Amino acid sequence: MNRRRQLFAYLDALAAGRRPGTLGADSEDIDVVRTAIELRAARPGDDAPDQQFVSDLYQELADQARSAVVPIDRAAKARRGRVALVSIAAGVALVGGTVIATEAIDQGALAPAAVQAPQRSQVRTATFETADSRVMGQIVAYGGSPSWVYMNVDVPQYDGKIICTLQAKSGLTVAAGVFELHRGMGAWSKTIQVDIGQLRGAKLVTSSGVTVAAATFA
Amino acid sequence: MSPAPRTSPITVPSRPVSGDVTYLRVVDADTYTDWESVYRDNVDRLYRLMYARVGNRPDAEDLTSEVFRTALGPLRLASSKGEVRAYLLVTARTVLASHWRRHLGQPVTSIDPEADAALLAEPSGPDEPSDAPNRIGRILATLPDRYRRILELRFLEACSIKEAAQVMDVSVSNAKVLQHRALRMAAKAGMELEQ
Repeated sequence: MNRRRQLFAYLDALAAGRRPGTLGADSEDIDVVRTAIELRAARPGDDAPDQQFVSDLYQELADQARSAVVPIDRAAKARRGRVALVSIAAGVALVGGTVIATEAIDQGALAPAAVQAPQRSQVRTATFETADSRVMGQIVAYGGSPSWVYMNVDVPQYDGKIICTLQAKSGLTVAAGVFELHRGMGAWSKTIQVDIGQLRGAKLVTSSGVTVAAATFA
Repeated sequence: MSPAPRTSPITVPSRPVSGDVTYLRVVDADTYTDWESVYRDNVDRLYRLMYARVGNRPDAEDLTSEVFRTALGPLRLASSKGEVRAYLLVTARTVLASHWRRHLGQPVTSIDPEADAALLAEPSGPDEPSDAPNRIGRILATLPDRYRRILELRFLEACSIKEAAQVMDVSVSNAKVLQHRALRMAAKAGMELEQ
């Protein structure tokens, strides 16, 4: 199918409310697609979520929350020294302000293990962007005792180790860590011994020293 | 984020079960008590935001799901509602950027955590008027009649290309050409409106 036909098929799916799929597009096509999306999204009464979807997603998250709780000591043994993974259950356990994430290196699951946490917190967020402003991921810093950072990244067509460094406003590197990306995707969290108000940002660097993306806290 | 006045209501589980211990817990008014309340309070608005960025239900549902799956794991409920929403928006920005990279190789639409913060902030909901129809109305008003009509038929009135061609009394091929030219002109008009 030539590009013009691909574009028409994409727009036809969009107009009909179907999933449009993929498209090899140039910048002019992108402008056309963006306009078609804007038009389609303006169709009256079509932007409310389906209640079945809302209910099904709730059930899925609830099931994950129930099944994802891993006792910390068992997880530590099972993963040969890696820290325990709790995933969504951590969010549930946080109700009383009693659990936060500590260092964990693993992909595919979100990583917190249980330690004592304060009731009040401070949060700072930033987006990892390439030099040409493409979004590659996000970082969240939670202030507390201890403070910690969490990040998830999506670097297209990259597999292997990636190094993250955290910089303070003074320019000093205050923390660093290495984690693996699988098919470009990875997540990492780490406790830090620094006031998160003093953080300037973070950098993602490949093992060969190439800077992939940087994030600056607002 | 401006902090809301804090109160300290005492919450009690709504359905205490006989034999179970019922605990009282002091919570802040501007924090979420559990992940369910984060979900219920934000799923509708996050979905609408994603829908506005991708223009179709299947992708909007997938992306909304991905935001919650990604965000709820490391979520810390001691954070304020504003902080939780800011975190959801940053997650949504990343998820949407990945979506476009996978499907079109470059960003088509994006989320700005600062500019779009109002979309997740209270009060909001199904009845809140959106600026989108006004903007679309202004764009369409700049187009020649036939261009405006083909776009209305296709994207606002849910006509197939065949139905639109019949209404406009042109061939299907001609309707496709009209649609393409109309979208290009509308894209240009949209950019001019932003300037």
